[in-house]
Amino acid sequence: MYTAWTSKYKPTSLREVVGNTAAITLFKEWVKSWDKGIPKQRAAFLYGPSGIGKTATVEALANDLKMEFVEKNASDYRTEEAINKFAGLASRYSSLFGVRRLILLDELDGLTGNADRGGIKAITDVVKNAQTPLVLIANNAYDSRFMTLRNYCLLIEFKKPTTAEVLGHLARLCTMEGIQAEENALKFIAHRSGGDVRSAVNDLQALAQGKKQLKYEDVSWLSYRDRQDTIFNVVRMAMYSRTCSAAKQAVDLADIDIDMLFEWVYENVPYHFTDPRDLAKATESLAMADLYRGKIRATQDWSFLRYVIDYMTAGVCMSRLYSKVGWVPFKFPTRIQSLSKSKAERMLQLSIGSKIKPKCHISAKRSLTEVLPFISIIFKTNPQKAAEIARWLDLTEEMISYLAGTEEKAKTIMGLLA
Amino acid sequence: MSFEMWAEKYRPKHLSDMVNQKEIVERLKSFAKARNVPHCIFAGPPGTGKTTAALCLARDLYGDNYREHIMELNASDERGIDVVRETIKTFARSRSIGEIPFKIMILDEADNMTTDAQQALRRTMEKYTESCRFIMCANYSGKIIEPIQSRCAPFRFSFLPKEEHDKYVCQIATKEGVILLPDGLEAIFEVCGGDMRRAMNTLQSAASMNKPVDAKLVYAVTGRANPMEIQKMLVAAFNGDFLEARKQMRDMLQKHGVAGSDIVRQIHAELFKTKEIPETLKIKLVDFVAEIDFRLMEGADEEVQLSALLAKIVQAGFESKH
Repeated sequence: MYTAWTSKYKPTSLREVVGNTAAITLFKEWVKSWDKGIPKQRAAFLYGPSGIGKTATVEALANDLKMEFVEKNASDYRTEEAINKFAGLASRYSSLFGVRRLILLDELDGLTGNADRGGIKAITDVVKNAQTPLVLIANNAYDSRFMTLRNYCLLIEFKKPTTAEVLGHLARLCTMEGIQAEENALKFIAHRSGGDVRSAVNDLQALAQGKKQLKYEDVSWLSYRDRQDTIFNVVRMAMYSRTCSAAKQAVDLADIDIDMLFEWVYENVPYHFTDPRDLAKATESLAMADLYRGKIRATQDWSFLRYVIDYMTAGVCMSRLYSKVGWVPFKFPTRIQSLSKSKAERMLQLSIGSKIKPKCHISAKRSLTEVLPFISIIFKTNPQKAAEIARWLDLTEEMISYLAGTEEKAKTIMGLLA
Repeated sequence: MSFEMWAEKYRPKHLSDMVNQKEIVERLKSFAKARNVPHCIFAGPPGTGKTTAALCLARDLYGDNYREHIMELNASDERGIDVVRETIKTFARSRSIGEIPFKIMILDEADNMTTDAQQALRRTMEKYTESCRFIMCANYSGKIIEPIQSRCAPFRFSFLPKEEHDKYVCQIATKEGVILLPDGLEAIFEVCGGDMRRAMNTLQSAASMNKPVDAKLVYAVTGRANPMEIQKMLVAAFNGDFLEARKQMRDMLQKHGVAGSDIVRQIHAELFKTKEIPETLKIKLVDFVAEIDFRLMEGADEEVQLSALLAKIVQAGFESKH
């Protein structure tokens, strides 16, 4: 059966709540202070962005302190009348069985307009007379509607947990689910969630459930999740429209830039134009679009853009003569991924290139294909000669290790240098 | 003597040492003799002696301390307009010391300069002609803007012909004590196509294995753009597997850093050797190979253009079977 991980792994104790340590301590002290009599502020008002554990904190605390937990949310307190119904609960210190009670009014932001008329005022009255701890939750405590209510409450701000805290939480879930996850992948999810633990957990479940391993490639396309539908639609338009003008509209509708749209179409064309005759036409059309893209780069004359658009949308669409239309999932442009992955390596290569440059009268960039490959062969086969080259170019240890490929070879070469 | 890569060690020092580009060298010698040099464009493929010719000319002109009278800038690394405004201008307007009233600015890979930078350069060239002469080295003179071209004497460098290439490579093999077998020499020319820097690097890295250099060894060290790999890619495409062919091409470009123009060159060579492709189709495909080669020179994206070429081969394969 499908269980959402957000409820499966809901914190049962305060210890399991992610982040917000200071706010949680303050809140806990306040609830405990009820043991010594009714405090000045009879309600705690927890506020902060959604998905960061406000409700979870209250539930976990009730659980830790073995309190009776009563929860009401937006649908329960629409009017003054409805609120009066549970006001009685708050007016007694404990339940029939002597267990202390914690009452939560969640989603106060949900009170709006005429239908909830009187709602806030009624809540304020309940707070004034409460005989048992009352907790209020809203995203924004400083909304003008809460002006009076605020005065009677202890305001506790909940902040977004840090990426590291979210990351730790995701890693724990993976351990419990028996998933081996690359740290990069979890970092990506955590970072993207912007501190919203709930959405991070939902993302993790969607991507990892039932898997043994979670790799960076499995998650990187997420960055387009929010806009995924629109992207898919736009790419579909660019490849499947019946008329040229419909295809060209894809560019206007896309909320990604034209180069990115080009990458999407370029990546997906072979999967959707299966007949070789169509494929040849479609890729040629993309190549023409690219040619004019290059012209724009070289001349900064953006009037060529119209041809780029024509070729990459209408030109592709009109290439379809024989290919059958079937449902094929869209793929994320992988060429961009692999380019960014090797970025660090490229930086190192370039720094070697800048050593080669003054010696060989060649640009650092060009030396990467003209000189570097040959040097790296020598490094892998002939430590003696490699050491001579290293001395000649004044290479650093990091560069030597990179060129040598293995630690062992690098050590031999370094030994010869010493 | 300290170690150097052979391409540097055997780089000619004087114009009279240069074995190729005879007509060009003769004209440059006459410049050195007259002690006057116009602005020049040296255009031609890599490894054909453009930078070498510029350095030799400078040495013949100024003597062994030529470095004091020249500046070498690489436009691929320093191509912005700021470089033109600051570095180049400062050098160009400073007075020359010595008998020859001008200095020489060698702008390497000048075709990689932005159009804006070239426009800015044009004024500098005019204004400071008295004190500075420019030698622009470029693979494609077409990428240099017209106003600059019209101010320069053009020189076209070409790949070394096979006999000269062979003679030169053998000479260096002998000097370095490398046993170079005839099929190894063939292979070097096939892989490098008369690009001397590449030939030197290939020979040196093959020699570092301490074995006689034969064709197998040459292909092994240049495995990055090994003809067999190209053939595998062509066969995959011809048999209709576009995705596999594209993946192989992507690997060559991204993982091994092979230049797109090298892949095109090798596709061209391999096309005629691939038995799977019918003769009549080969010549049709060459049409397109040439087109793609041209587009790459225009600065188009290597992978996108090569994809289009592979798709054409897939189509050719399809049509030959139907």
